[in-house]
Amino acid sequence: MTTKPRTLDDIEQVDLIVGMEIHVELATKRKMFSGAPNPAAPSDGTSREEPEPNTLIDPTVLGLPGALPVMNKRAVELSMMVGAALGCRISEFTKWDRKSYFYPDLPKAYQISQYDLPLCYDGAFDLPSLDAEGRIDPQGPERRIGIIRAHLEEDAGKLLHEAPGGRAIEGSIVDLNRAGTPLLEIVTQPDLRSADECVAFARILRDICRSLGASEGVLQQGHIRFEPNINTKITFFDRSTATTPIVEVKNLNSYRSLRLAIEHELAEQPRRYLQDGREMGPGMKTTRGWDDKREVTFSQREKEDAHDYRYFPDPDLPPVVIDDAWRERICSQVGELPHRKQIRYMDEAALSPAEAQALTAEPGVAAYYEAIVELLIDKDDKYRTDREHAGRAAANLLLQSGAKHANERGVSVDRLGVSPQHAAEIIFLREDGRISAQGLDELFGLYASGEAGDETAESLAESRGMIVVRDEGALEAWCDEVIAEHPAIAEQIKGGKDQAIGRLIGEVMKKSKGQADAKTVREMLMDKLKA
Amino acid sequence: MKSAREQVAEALARIEERNGACNAFVEVYAEEATTRAAAIDERVAGGEDLPLAGMPIAVKDNICTKVGKTTCASRILEGYRSPFDATVVGRLEAAGAVIVGKVNMDEFGMGSGTEHSVYGPTGNPWDTTRVAGGSSGGSAAAVAAGMVPVALGTDTGGSIRQPAAMCGVVGLKPTYGRVSRYGLVAFASSLDQIGPLTRTVEEAARVLGVIAGEDPNDATSSTRPLHDFVAASRETPWNLRVGVVRGWSSAKNHPAVDGAMERAKGVFRAMGAEVVVVDLPHAEHAVSAYYIVAPAEASSNLARFDGVRYGRRAEVGAGEGLEALYVRSRSEGFGAEVKRRIMLGTYALSAGHCDEYYKTALKVRRRIKEDYDTALGTGEHGEGARCDVLLLPTSPTPAYPIGEKGNDPVSEYLQDIYTVGVNLAGLPAISLPCGLAEVGGKELPVGVQLVGRAFDEAGLLRAAGMFERASGFSGVSAPGV
Repeated sequence: MTTKPRTLDDIEQVDLIVGMEIHVELATKRKMFSGAPNPAAPSDGTSREEPEPNTLIDPTVLGLPGALPVMNKRAVELSMMVGAALGCRISEFTKWDRKSYFYPDLPKAYQISQYDLPLCYDGAFDLPSLDAEGRIDPQGPERRIGIIRAHLEEDAGKLLHEAPGGRAIEGSIVDLNRAGTPLLEIVTQPDLRSADECVAFARILRDICRSLGASEGVLQQGHIRFEPNINTKITFFDRSTATTPIVEVKNLNSYRSLRLAIEHELAEQPRRYLQDGREMGPGMKTTRGWDDKREVTFSQREKEDAHDYRYFPDPDLPPVVIDDAWRERICSQVGELPHRKQIRYMDEAALSPAEAQALTAEPGVAAYYEAIVELLIDKDDKYRTDREHAGRAAANLLLQSGAKHANERGVSVDRLGVSPQHAAEIIFLREDGRISAQGLDELFGLYASGEAGDETAESLAESRGMIVVRDEGALEAWCDEVIAEHPAIAEQIKGGKDQAIGRLIGEVMKKSKGQADAKTVREMLMDKLKA
Repeated sequence: MKSAREQVAEALARIEERNGACNAFVEVYAEEATTRAAAIDERVAGGEDLPLAGMPIAVKDNICTKVGKTTCASRILEGYRSPFDATVVGRLEAAGAVIVGKVNMDEFGMGSGTEHSVYGPTGNPWDTTRVAGGSSGGSAAAVAAGMVPVALGTDTGGSIRQPAAMCGVVGLKPTYGRVSRYGLVAFASSLDQIGPLTRTVEEAARVLGVIAGEDPNDATSSTRPLHDFVAASRETPWNLRVGVVRGWSSAKNHPAVDGAMERAKGVFRAMGAEVVVVDLPHAEHAVSAYYIVAPAEASSNLARFDGVRYGRRAEVGAGEGLEALYVRSRSEGFGAEVKRRIMLGTYALSAGHCDEYYKTALKVRRRIKEDYDTALGTGEHGEGARCDVLLLPTSPTPAYPIGEKGNDPVSEYLQDIYTVGVNLAGLPAISLPCGLAEVGGKELPVGVQLVGRAFDEAGLLRAAGMFERASGFSGVSAPGV
């Protein structure tokens, strides 16, 4: 019996199936198994320059004869935290295995990894919905993503095909700066069903790693690399189905390339199937690279699962026993995850998704924000029952004046040197109408520049003449004058066109030479016009 | 007491005079050693108390030293200079010892006769047509010929003890983890240990005291407390219980070895020790298990020698590619025995064979360890024979003629029958001279070994010291020395 070859037109539906492998370079000071400095360590903010090739090395990184690995305990602890954040179980007993293959960027010709007893395993993560801008949509459905494992290993070096600076060279440079960097490999179940979900998972995982201090998470520097395992289920109009072989796309280091690679495979795999008829099965998995210019994947290795890495336990490294006390001490540091924080901020202080995201993007900022909110609530009965008001006031300060100064200085707002105490004092002055909006910004700037020292916000505002005029008599006189000078506008407002009041407020402010409080002025004008 | 300069000058003169006959040293650091000796004399004059002040030491060529080359007697490490000292070298030098040179070995420690060396075989000072044993043959010959009082060797399956026995010197393999392996070029990481070859038990104890102890650079080094090993070596133990292993069918001893065992039992009995027969039911399988585990680890440890970063790189034409660089560098760089073991080990770890070979060997290894623990009264399953030490031959034969094992690797592997079990079990053991036997018209030394409890080198040295004093076998010089 012969059948007519099927075409794309015979396909009713294609379902995407993706499991993600995510490599996270941990931000420890030193490498995974040696004392050499880790290129993925937190930067001190002074220099982001790429170090010269082969400067972050020592005998162990180079795999010199006689050198031995010694485990970096901090890397294990950071991994435990990420694992716990993903709902994983933490192994009581884990070990190190050698994965053998020859390549010039792998100095020992084996990578120290974890084969059958990963540090973290059996996790489940509830992935919230993200909107089109990649922000959390608290109304959207959550999807549970299974985590197969998260294991720790050492990164390989790099082959450079041109000299630093771009000069052409004959041959290649083996750069071992990255070799030995602690690498956490997170493997999900094939539970992801769209490129959007994959990107959402990637974004949220990055936020988690950053908030835990586990990784700097700079994608351009390869701190987090994505390797989606993609296949599709094809349903034909005749109700028959086919499952395409798994394609692992290696080394994607942007959300954009992750999305495009998945979308590309989603489109290509049915075509490939119609051509070669290959279905998923043992020995069918292939590895493909990503061409970022042409936006296509390209074949790297057939029969990925046929490679024999000859895993065996590394005799240089004792197994790791994790007792309850150690596990609890580390996992208890995980705390609230950034995406949960965002949802809470939106809920508690009616912040927008963008505001909530801005406050949780940098690890230190959320803590700074919350410290200010707590001070506002603690200090004054006015806010005790009104967390929303306090949260809003603190968010406004940090996202307006704070963001402006942070941008100018190129640091995050919590590192400007303005203590939560002083920030709270500034907000109080403003809330009490004792400084103007401009005064608030100036005061914040004085603290941020270090000029203010440890002086209280109040005495600073007084000594700098920033306390607004409280003389009700003078204010009333100016208000009356302005109303009299602008009868047409006054009439409009009386007629219900409230937005016209801005002009009158501005005139009063002029008369006060900026010393009046705009909010008070507005209230007074309204009282007079609407009485 | 002789100054460091005198001790070193004496050693250098003897090396000059005697090394030609036996090819023990592959490099001699006359100038550096003389300079260092002068510095040590100054430190001693300045009031410093250095436990090994001026002691000339030879170092096996697989232990990294900043001075000179470290080649593991392999072509693949031709000209390799280590940028760092092994932990043991640092500790010896801090204690006042002076490294006078590097000594010969089987390539990467793989062999039992120091014949598999890029520098050619080392001759036994007792009969230079015979092997010095291996793989630490250079270390044993250097001490036996009186060139140095102490040499460092390494022992993965008997490589300290067997050459010590064949050359008539003392050879101590410490408990696995007792001495840092940092700077020891790995052969089989779970088995390798560094230890001293010396003329007397006390000297072995003195050197152990300096090199032993935790090292932050070696995660497998132990934090277990050290003891006063020198004091222990001078003590006479009470009520010593010595276990003699019931014979193994596969062990075919030379009559000289059986004779030495009888003499040894006699010495212990004469000293009031109780000699009991014990069973090590799985020990017979030690060679089989060892020749899976050790090559498996070696195949991985030696994978780094690829010609890319250091050592010898083969000539590869433009456009021949990476594969050619690897294949040619490794084909040209490694000797036949090393290649044989890399292939064995790669096979044992490969998918489809790993369970049958490597994992089975690990199970046998556990059984062997349990056997030893039971015999030494440290087992989890009852007290067993409660022996303080076990007495075994070191090697089934005295030194054999150079070239005899050329085409018979298995017969060479069977040289290790009495030693490899100790490495698999991780225990400390010492080979002691136990008299001479006439073989082929010449007198050759024969050794016996004592095996102790894990981290109880003190107990082992106590028994060894007593044996040495009672037997008078140690310190007998090779003819012409």
